[in-house]
Amino acid sequence: MFLEVQNLSVDLGEFYLDNVNLNLDKNSYMVIIGPTGSGKSVLLETIAGFYRAEKGKIFLEGKDITNLNPENRGISIVYQDYVLFPNMNVFENIAYGLKKNEKNRAIIKSKVLETANLLKIDHLLDRNPETLSGGEKQRTAIARSIIVEPKILLMDEPFSAVDVSTHSYLTKLIKNVIENYETTCIHVTHNFNDVWNLAEKVAVMKDGKILQQGNTKEVFSKPSHNFVADFVGVHNVFEGKIMGKKSSLTKIELDSNLILYSSDEPGDSKKVLVAIRPENIIFSNEAFVSSVRNQITGTVKEIIRVGPIVWIEVKIGKINFKGILTPNSCEKLGIKKGKEIYLSFKSVNVKIIDENESYNSMI
Amino acid sequence: MKSKLEIIFISISFIFTALLFIIIGNLFFIPSPQGFIQSLFSEEMITALKLTLSTSTVAAVSVIIIAVPTAYSLSRYSFPLKNVVKSILDLPMAFPEIVLGIALLMLFGNNLLGNFLQSLGIDIVFTTTGIIIAQFFVAFPYAVRILYSTFNYINPRYEFVSRSLGYGEFETFKNITLPLAKSGIFASSVVTLARCIGTFAAVLLLGGGTYLKTETLPIAIYFNLSLGNIDMAITASIVLVLISFVAIFVLERFANENINKG
Repeated sequence: MFLEVQNLSVDLGEFYLDNVNLNLDKNSYMVIIGPTGSGKSVLLETIAGFYRAEKGKIFLEGKDITNLNPENRGISIVYQDYVLFPNMNVFENIAYGLKKNEKNRAIIKSKVLETANLLKIDHLLDRNPETLSGGEKQRTAIARSIIVEPKILLMDEPFSAVDVSTHSYLTKLIKNVIENYETTCIHVTHNFNDVWNLAEKVAVMKDGKILQQGNTKEVFSKPSHNFVADFVGVHNVFEGKIMGKKSSLTKIELDSNLILYSSDEPGDSKKVLVAIRPENIIFSNEAFVSSVRNQITGTVKEIIRVGPIVWIEVKIGKINFKGILTPNSCEKLGIKKGKEIYLSFKSVNVKIIDENESYNSMI
Repeated sequence: MKSKLEIIFISISFIFTALLFIIIGNLFFIPSPQGFIQSLFSEEMITALKLTLSTSTVAAVSVIIIAVPTAYSLSRYSFPLKNVVKSILDLPMAFPEIVLGIALLMLFGNNLLGNFLQSLGIDIVFTTTGIIIAQFFVAFPYAVRILYSTFNYINPRYEFVSRSLGYGEFETFKNITLPLAKSGIFASSVVTLARCIGTFAAVLLLGGGTYLKTETLPIAIYFNLSLGNIDMAITASIVLVLISFVAIFVLERFANENINKG
């Protein structure tokens, strides 16, 4: 394993890390998501060596770096607020780390030009950081960190202070840069697009703990905790009881005697949580014949339009299901409050979360 | 169109600045030109001027050298009794300077520490060294206070980034923190120098105010006023005003130039 964080605990008073475990392969890209104050930045800064671990170990390339000074770790960091040195111009900022070990001016100049060119800031080298736009500042900060060819590049919400179009541009650019430098990356973000566009692995943090980490698709499609399910946008998370098996599918009874079928294998626990992503629910005015194993009816309780999508909340007994439609589909189906409607979803999209496990790890 | 509040506030600032200007400017019209010239080139004045400038410069430089690490450690590091240290450093700003003077005299006078230092050939009381020590301790808390705010204002992430790029703690302090703290260091230098030049009671008690030996400009003003030598006292005051003005002007201009360059 390239980076291995084992049982790491840090207490900074307001922020803390509690028994964090994290694994990362060489040249892979991990994104860490989680609510504000969950300890994401503290985790990055502890990996970088700015905070001492109270407990636990950090291994990089098999070497214990837990007590190594930041300057000896070979880990660079990029912050949301850029922190470009105001007493240096763009060239000097980018060259700063390089100058530590490279004294040949011609080599420094050539490497700065090469990196600046890659990040398309070669025309800004004489400028003072204060005169740059947000996107230009962030590209300079990335250039400054990547030019030293770090073993790991840490990025703490690097795109959150730039506008949407710059964000999209920077995402493409960073992908290119990371590939070019073959760098291992850990990226903290609140933006799920970053997860889908950049990450191979994702970790979800809450209250100083990593609740789940793994392959991006797996975490998003099969959250192992109810918080993760809610945070990654599953929305429909309900308590249920395993009722046994029926034709290789797991039969689950929810509140109001509602029966759902899941392709997931249940664990030992009889009490579970089931999670269904809103985009996997199909709405229709009538029942239809298909391979879909879950088809239920309910009453439309709420219709909320958010930008280009419409959220439909349907009440079935005491349970509220949330699904999404386009405004056009909503109009075609004649959806309005109080209307009876069919909800269909595949058994493969009904994910089982072990309730005991999730509650225990949340405490 | 200015608002009423704006007009009132600007008027207040103008009226009281004008009053202060009149009070200080008034000094320049009291002595006769002949008395002023005579006093200015008197042996007492030249000695006091040289002594004030030399002791204040040494004291101010020492204060900044010691205050920078003190303020930085208070701003960045956690250590036992940190709040007690901060309170003790603030204390001399709250009580009269003469109290600090008496405390210094008692410490370095005819007692254990004073006698020990004397046995090593180090005379503090009623000497130029005593003047520098008094100026140092009067100005030190002010410098620490300004520098502490300065370091607090600098985002520690600048230092984090520098460390992550391969620079050690001291190199980061030298390359990043100190240049970013430049304006605060200049501001504290101005205040420190002004406090050192203007220190009276503590310097009088520890330095002794001996004629032509440990008589600084503020002490010269006090002695000559007591003796009824008004021209000499006012000339010393004018010299002090001019020194303070030039020091503040030069340092602030230097600071602004450096900030603009930065």
